[in-house]
Amino acid sequence: MKAAGCDVGSLTSKAVIMDEERILGSVIIKSRARPWESADEVMDRALEKANCTMEELSFIVGTGYGRDKIPFVNEAVSEIACHGKGAKWLVPSVRTVIDIGGQDCKAIRLDEQGNMIKFITNDKCASGTGRFLEVMAKVLGVGLEELGRLAERSGNPITLASACTVWAQADIIQHLNDMVSLEDISAGISNAMAARVSVLAKSVGVEGDVCMTGGVAKNSGVVKALEKYLGVRIKRVRREDPQIAGAIGAALFAMEKAKEGAA
Amino acid sequence: MNPVFTEVTEAQYNRYVKEWKEQGKPVAGYTCSFVPEEVFHAAGILPFRIRGFSARETTIGDTYFGPFICSLPKCMLQCAGQGDLRFLDGTVIVPGCDSMRRLDECWRKAGVDIEGILPEFFFHFSVPHKHTDYTVRWFAEEIQRLIAAVENHFGVHIGEEDLRKSIKVYNRTRELVTEFEMLRTRDDPACTGAEALSVLLAGTAMPREEYNALLEEYIAEAGNAPGISGKTRLLLGGSASDDIELVKLVEGTDALVVADNLCFGSRFYEGRVGEEGNPIEQLALRYLGQNLCPRMYGDYDRRLSLLLERAAKAKVQGVILQNIRFCDLHGSENGLLEREFESRGIPCMRIEREYGPLVETGRLKMRIDAFQERIQQGKVRV
Amino acid sequence: MRQETREYNFDWMLWSSFSLASQLAGGTEKEYRNVLKYIPYFRGAIEKLLDTGEPGRRFIGITASYLDNIINARERGKKTAMTTFCFSPALMYAMDVVPVGLEVMTVMMTLIYRRGTAEFLDFCNEAGFTETSCSSQRGALGGYIGGIGAPIDMVVTDTPGVCDTNANAFAFASAYMKIPFFSLDMPPDLTGSRSDRFHRDDYRALIAFLEEQTGKKLDMDRLREVLLEVQKQDVIIADLEELARIIPNPLPPVFNFMIYASRFLYAGMPECTGLLESMRSAALVNAEKGVSGLAGGRENLRALFCYIDHYSQNLDLWRMFDEYGITTQGNILSRSWAACAPHVKEFGTEEAAYTLDPGGLDALIDSMAMMNARMPMVKSIRGPYDAPDMWLQDNLSLAAMYSADLIVYNGTPGCRNTWGMVKLMARDTEEAGYPTYIMYADAFDERVQSWETTKERFLEFLNVRRLMR
Repeated sequence: MKAAGCDVGSLTSKAVIMDEERILGSVIIKSRARPWESADEVMDRALEKANCTMEELSFIVGTGYGRDKIPFVNEAVSEIACHGKGAKWLVPSVRTVIDIGGQDCKAIRLDEQGNMIKFITNDKCASGTGRFLEVMAKVLGVGLEELGRLAERSGNPITLASACTVWAQADIIQHLNDMVSLEDISAGISNAMAARVSVLAKSVGVEGDVCMTGGVAKNSGVVKALEKYLGVRIKRVRREDPQIAGAIGAALFAMEKAKEGAA
Repeated sequence: MNPVFTEVTEAQYNRYVKEWKEQGKPVAGYTCSFVPEEVFHAAGILPFRIRGFSARETTIGDTYFGPFICSLPKCMLQCAGQGDLRFLDGTVIVPGCDSMRRLDECWRKAGVDIEGILPEFFFHFSVPHKHTDYTVRWFAEEIQRLIAAVENHFGVHIGEEDLRKSIKVYNRTRELVTEFEMLRTRDDPACTGAEALSVLLAGTAMPREEYNALLEEYIAEAGNAPGISGKTRLLLGGSASDDIELVKLVEGTDALVVADNLCFGSRFYEGRVGEEGNPIEQLALRYLGQNLCPRMYGDYDRRLSLLLERAAKAKVQGVILQNIRFCDLHGSENGLLEREFESRGIPCMRIEREYGPLVETGRLKMRIDAFQERIQQGKVRV
Repeated sequence: MRQETREYNFDWMLWSSFSLASQLAGGTEKEYRNVLKYIPYFRGAIEKLLDTGEPGRRFIGITASYLDNIINARERGKKTAMTTFCFSPALMYAMDVVPVGLEVMTVMMTLIYRRGTAEFLDFCNEAGFTETSCSSQRGALGGYIGGIGAPIDMVVTDTPGVCDTNANAFAFASAYMKIPFFSLDMPPDLTGSRSDRFHRDDYRALIAFLEEQTGKKLDMDRLREVLLEVQKQDVIIADLEELARIIPNPLPPVFNFMIYASRFLYAGMPECTGLLESMRSAALVNAEKGVSGLAGGRENLRALFCYIDHYSQNLDLWRMFDEYGITTQGNILSRSWAACAPHVKEFGTEEAAYTLDPGGLDALIDSMAMMNARMPMVKSIRGPYDAPDMWLQDNLSLAAMYSADLIVYNGTPGCRNTWGMVKLMARDTEEAGYPTYIMYADAFDERVQSWETTKERFLEFLNVRRLMR
């Protein structure tokens, strides 16, 4: 039985096609202005990769900001639930999931069965989100992945405004003018981000195994800084790209629904 | 539900206010639930609770207030500045909190720049922050000061007997609201939370006798009609919210707000004013002693027990505590309350938002959906 | 909060830093210079203070002894009260209660630790306290509610009616830590018989609360002793304020900070009197010579801070003052509202000031009540900003009397009260001819805006308005 999850986010859209527990195909694209356009494109490409057709899918779950605007889904599920579900599949022992996406950041606590016990999301601004890193990388003139690598080589990280993306930018320009090294600035950025996220995570309580999902999970600088702030080791997601966790969760929900329907 | 409730709450200068003004009678606005409306009623003036819902932006509000200020007074000032409140003959400003109290100066300063937006009668009404013998005395004196100012400005006389009569009218509302609340909390609630908020808000924007009649009629009808069942029961608490759309967002298709603790909602009608003894003292006792707002510092335990009691009575399955950004009073108390609810096994979620028209619907919806999924999941597990 | 932060009590760490620093001036110059190398984050503050000579030594000393009282309160059989800077600690000293001033502890940390109070600020949010609340309390509060400070027995504040975020921080602390709470309330009117009576009744209720918490009756003789000491201190502060009128101002800029900090720590105690006396002596020497108290010796600009200062690490604000020849003509914290203060006499505002009557018990208590109602902030920002004796009147009259060239506002984004009126105030002071600069920084949290950026923007303002001579 085949099912799919489609996660239309603010910056990227993801789709995953599954056959039982196996991923047949997954795709990440940059989101377009209209959620349905993103959904169509990402789904078409995922189907192509999985070498199957829409008709073969028994159930499709949509998630992400654009979830209510995707015409082909059978049901929409919140991305918080999807990320929890997806993380559990990626790291079965996980009890605390930290997901950092393009413009939001969430911490989700799960019970042993993977049910959501408590969650929190940032409700302020871009600080503590992927967008924050994106803006900072742009100011430094480096790529996103480079930012993480640079941070790891720092010996004396700067202290940075973590509260506001705009003000942090001004501070970085100031540090660049003062000839501070890119490594130290990058590490300051990772720390600021990690500090922000750790506050969020700790307010729901960090328990058991922790893993990170979302695009920022691929930034080694932030992951290491976060380990330092949380005082725990973060389990690395190796089974699949952590950025597609939400779409995997959606696909798993879809699979459950499909089975319910069949039964 | 009688559409008049919604109609009254959706326009600043509503049909009832218009009719009132056409009879040549004055209207006095007030900004906080600590103002004894009975004083105005006794003077033949229509008390009108100022809200900021007709603001679509805060350009005027932002001109006078600084950036780190609650959007509620900014929206109120915006409404005044764009002329929506020109029908007010007077205004009472209360230092309910720091953001609200500076509406005094900001409105006055805006009045210098924009002609005709500052009501002639403009009164700063001081309300103590705790409930004890000497604060009640201060508050009673403050009511006296308000009475004297109203008498002087509007050329009226407010006698003890007038106050007693007004107290009776307002107490009648409080009794009716208690009955109305029972309809909300029964197993099949008579209305949605959004409808309930309309009903409660209407009382602050129309003549009270007429409101009492409407409410009585509604209770009689709804009491016999079948209610709504099969929905997740929620309690909505936290800072000032007159936003019916927010309640609709919270309820979505699967939930119902069956109880609230909002200062624009049921908390506004809490308690009774004593009908015996000196009416001013009785007003002081009720308004200072029975308004459970976190501005009354050091009274957290009483507020907690009331909220727990309300949640139990309404058999809620989840609690949503919201606060307007920069509302530290409710925001921090929500943090304390959340722990209490969660420790009792009642799922609770905190939301920070902007006031009414500025709410970021998309982001909130995502969280509310996830919260309801969490409650549903819990039910399945149990 | 990281595990390593939890290893030691933070107030003990502060005490350890300050008590060691208080011994620095005891060694040779070479030893002192050597030690400075090892305290890169504390160095700037130490140098700025010790450069003033005896006053600086005394200041570091009393800071250490204040902290010593806190960390050893339990062993010495005393109760501790979490309190605020604008609450006169004199009554607590008279009643053997150890005041734990959240804001002064926050400042101590921001001055000497590289990360300031960042982790404590954040811990408060983890505990459910809003991140938009004022950082001045939130800093040290995080340490106490996080369980890494001396035990606290009660919470006492006096800011309802003055500052919500302050009052709320203390109410939160009390509810979170489940300890008794008392707050003095402040009506919007400072003067008049109604307010006077209210302040007196309220203060008596405070005494009853403290008596109940400590199990001891208020000792009239002890109270009188403390009050007489306050009187002495008020006279010295009046002298220092009078000296600040001179052009050039003979007071080193950091004196202003030391004046209010010492009052917040030790009002009514002989330690504070000694420190103030040493400041007066040093300033008199400069005045007699007709020289400025600035490190560079040249006075370019006289700035009145209408609210608070900026407490970044290493006393950077004061270093900037010295670097650019800017004198500080006081701020809302340093201003005394004793009847003997020069500005009270100059403008005849005795009714809005306080006089201390050491007569009978009632007179003593009334005096304390009046004094407390005129503490920094409590006096000036309770009513509408343009009401008599409030913020605008204070700023305009003080700017004129202390010959200020400009007015500067700095606070915290948590300050709902002043942010609600500062734009209006600035509009009025600009109209009155005072260039007025509003800083968008956080006095206690550099993460909001770094000191470097804050400084650059301030200097840009001075340039644009052609204020630098």
